[in-house]
Amino acid sequence: MSSNLCLPLRPPFAVVAVLLGGWILHGEAHAATSSVQAAYMLGCQGCHLEDGRGFPQRGVPALDGFVGNFLKVPGGREYLVRVPGAAQSELSDERLADVLNWMLRTFSSAQLPADFTPYTAPEVGRLRKSPLVEVAPVRVELLRRLETVASP
Amino acid sequence: MIQKWLDTLDRWAEKATRKDARVHSRRAFLSGFGASVIGVGAVTLLPVFRGGAFAQQAGSEEGDPNSCDYWRHCAIDGYLCGCCGGTVSSCPPGTVVSDITWIGTCRNPADGRDYIISYNDCCGKSTCGRCVCQRDQGDTPIYRPQTSNDLNWCAGSQADVPYHCSLSVVIGVNE
Repeated sequence: MSSNLCLPLRPPFAVVAVLLGGWILHGEAHAATSSVQAAYMLGCQGCHLEDGRGFPQRGVPALDGFVGNFLKVPGGREYLVRVPGAAQSELSDERLADVLNWMLRTFSSAQLPADFTPYTAPEVGRLRKSPLVEVAPVRVELLRRLETVASP
Repeated sequence: MIQKWLDTLDRWAEKATRKDARVHSRRAFLSGFGASVIGVGAVTLLPVFRGGAFAQQAGSEEGDPNSCDYWRHCAIDGYLCGCCGGTVSSCPPGTVVSDITWIGTCRNPADGRDYIISYNDCCGKSTCGRCVCQRDQGDTPIYRPQTSNDLNWCAGSQADVPYHCSLSVVIGVNE
């Protein structure tokens, strides 16, 4: 046994540890949020949460580590624009395209297809004119297609 | 075989204990141990939002967080948690923060910047009833639920109903 293992924490180290911990936990003050992230915060984060983990138990789908999968199957690219939260948001076509691209890259870059092309404002503007009324059946069908892609 | 192993362990423990007793006094141990206990206790008192650990600090702030006209409450509709045993950014004991919530902006008169505010509800105890505050800036009708403050967000959280009080947490700066 090393006698150092029995050495109790000396008071100065305890004080430094407390102050350092407080500084780290307190976060960055005055940090300006990027405009695209601010749009996500104001239009999406209330339900999908700050890290995109959502709340699947209450019907809020998780974006984190998953949402990019939709781009691998036919209809998935359109689906992400036609869901009510996107199509009926207060964002302009251009800003909605920016937010969708940001969400895909931030929360699901590992799932993005290699040939991913970002959404554009005209594409988003065209798709959001036909918002989904019945979302669940479309989602179920897309997930079924995804299973086929995952296990051919 | 087992007896031999136990004897070895016994000798080793005795030797280590005697060596430690020669090097460290009981008073030094007690003082260090006491400092550690106080240090660990102090960490839990630091001003952080424990529900989601995403709270930020606004620049300079003026006013009383427990007053309805405090700048962060510009779109709130509920009881101020600071009057209910919590603070403007932390839930009272015995309640759980609703992760699902609505988010808006308020201008801080102290620096003129627009901050992004998360109006999380605290849930799990009956209605607080103190410091009711309804300001509704930017509030939309319930058919636009993303920005409606008439919803009981506790109903959509892991905490479930009942509603107790509301927070106004700074989570970003909108520029």
